[in-house]
Amino acid sequence: MDAREEGSAVRHGPGGEPHDAPAADVPPRAPEPEAEPRTGVAALSLRYQIAAALALAVVAITVCVHTGMVFLHVAPSNTVTKQHGEAIDDWIYPEFEQNWKLFAPNPLQQNIAVQARASVATADGRIRTTRWYDLSAEDGRAIDGNPLPSHTQQNALRRAWDFFVATHDAENRPVGLRGALSESYLRRTVELRLDRADAAGEGGVVERVQVRSRTTNVRPPKWSDERVSDRPAYRVLPWWRVPETREREDAR
Amino acid sequence: MNRVSLAVSAAIARVTESALGPYQTAVIRIGFTATWLLFLLREFPHRQELYGPDGPWDFDLAQQLVGSNGAFTALMWSGSQVWFETVYALAVLTSVLLLLGWRTRTTSVLFMVGVLSLQNRSVFVGDGGDNVLHLMCVYLVFTRCGQVWSLDARRARREGEARARGERVGPDRAGPALWAVLGLVLGAVTAVGRLDGDPTIPVILWMMWLGTALWWAVDRRARTDQPRILLDVVGNIAHNGALLVIMAEACLIYATAGWYKIQGSRWQDGTAVYYPLHLEYFSPWPALADLLSASGTMVMLITYGTVLVQVAFPFTLFHRRVKNVLLAAMMTEHAVIAVVLGLPFFSLAMIAADAVFLPTPFLRRVGDVADRARARLARAVRRGDHGTRVPEPRTPEDPEPAHVGFTA
Repeated sequence: MDAREEGSAVRHGPGGEPHDAPAADVPPRAPEPEAEPRTGVAALSLRYQIAAALALAVVAITVCVHTGMVFLHVAPSNTVTKQHGEAIDDWIYPEFEQNWKLFAPNPLQQNIAVQARASVATADGRIRTTRWYDLSAEDGRAIDGNPLPSHTQQNALRRAWDFFVATHDAENRPVGLRGALSESYLRRTVELRLDRADAAGEGGVVERVQVRSRTTNVRPPKWSDERVSDRPAYRVLPWWRVPETREREDAR
Repeated sequence: MNRVSLAVSAAIARVTESALGPYQTAVIRIGFTATWLLFLLREFPHRQELYGPDGPWDFDLAQQLVGSNGAFTALMWSGSQVWFETVYALAVLTSVLLLLGWRTRTTSVLFMVGVLSLQNRSVFVGDGGDNVLHLMCVYLVFTRCGQVWSLDARRARREGEARARGERVGPDRAGPALWAVLGLVLGAVTAVGRLDGDPTIPVILWMMWLGTALWWAVDRRARTDQPRILLDVVGNIAHNGALLVIMAEACLIYATAGWYKIQGSRWQDGTAVYYPLHLEYFSPWPALADLLSASGTMVMLITYGTVLVQVAFPFTLFHRRVKNVLLAAMMTEHAVIAVVLGLPFFSLAMIAADAVFLPTPFLRRVGDVADRARARLARAVRRGDHGTRVPEPRTPEDPEPAHVGFTA
């Protein structure tokens, strides 16, 4: 709305300022060298002033529409977003996507640890199941006393798990393309970590991996009389085959 | 009615005749590029795991996601190791160049390409800090962010001085060369269909490239001053629009963060700040976290204070002094978050965004202090060469403010 008002005002501008318009007819190169060259719309002839007004209108409208779209994108679901959700998404995605619910409405009050174990084909032909590796605890230790935590320590596993949870139902069934992608991503993330921990051992090959999450409540503050359960809750995913093993078996 | 039309025409004159906030745009340019540069250097040992073709989020997975959302990333143009290393190196290089303010019109575009290429390649490793940089690097392209504190400004000053002395200034060679090379790349990439995703970024790239050509042609060929002044006006309008969007974006960040918090029971009962401090992923200094949360009253004050400042900030923009107080409070809080929650790059990005609201006199003072420090350093180096040491003249002002606003 503002944009249109401002835009039309601009179009009236040249007519509203009759004293400024003739200034443009002054030869551009003034003889006195110390004179400041005129800038801005006032220095333009009518033809160019119209072009400038058009530019101003376009920019003003773009700014207002963009700011409005971003506002509706970050606002809670409301009458307007329900009616025009598609138009807003078209404008915002993919490059202007944003989420500023930083520790809001409530901060996370649970430590969600992602743990993994592997089923390993050992060098002597047996199948061995490793212990559970607490990968989030490893991240936590890497962050402890670290002034510059890496995204690999702070975000990679944590967000891979969030991505998995967001794209799977309660029975761990994937929802859509993103569900399938998140499964591969989480599996590959875990494989990398298990490989670093040398879970396969001497001559062993990781054939399958299993992931689970262990959720524990953050203990309430000492000065609070609140009580929460300190029993961890587990979410255990099915075993996943490591595809590289299949290729290796085929090659054999 | 007449007063209204007068005010409108004054406003139009203001936004068309100059690119407003030269110091503010320069400080955010320096802030965002420094944040991204430091991030890239810090993650250099981990670059393969985060963005490499064989990382956990490998080329194939990224291709499927980018294929479905159309986001812009040069890293999807090839899955080779060499290309990945090249893009990473170019991202580092363009951050340095834009930080120094070399050819900001072009390097701001290349900086955007670097940021988007890496971030859109692996969207699931980022956090709020990456999100801020993602948006701001696009907005920065439309600003004239090299008017002060830049190599561009120095070049313009020297050319002006040379002209004033009556010397002839030779034609610019680097500019057209850069333009030609980038045009070839852009044309080739478009021709082979690598920009067929979402049109936003490709349109910006072509617009900037054509705009630069137009600017150059008008500067050299136009018979009258009119087209040049018009382009200058259009540049000012775009700059001022982008600056407004940057400010609005910063306000939306704080408004969203604040208003959603108000709805949360933990922010209401005054314990919210305690919890992030006790999450494994956000507690690099557990002893410090315990110290901060030892007193319930203290935690409540910080909890309420955070919400208050975030919700109030956008409204205080109408009152200069109150705004400055809140700005200082927010920058301090982000500096604390950097350490206590282990989020240095997020905090740096937020401080850089806050800096767009710093008052001009303060920024000029900071600039003067930095200038004097540099001159002193240069003198010291020269004296060191001669082997004689003379005590440094003390500057009357406290050099402390140099640390604020600059986000290095």
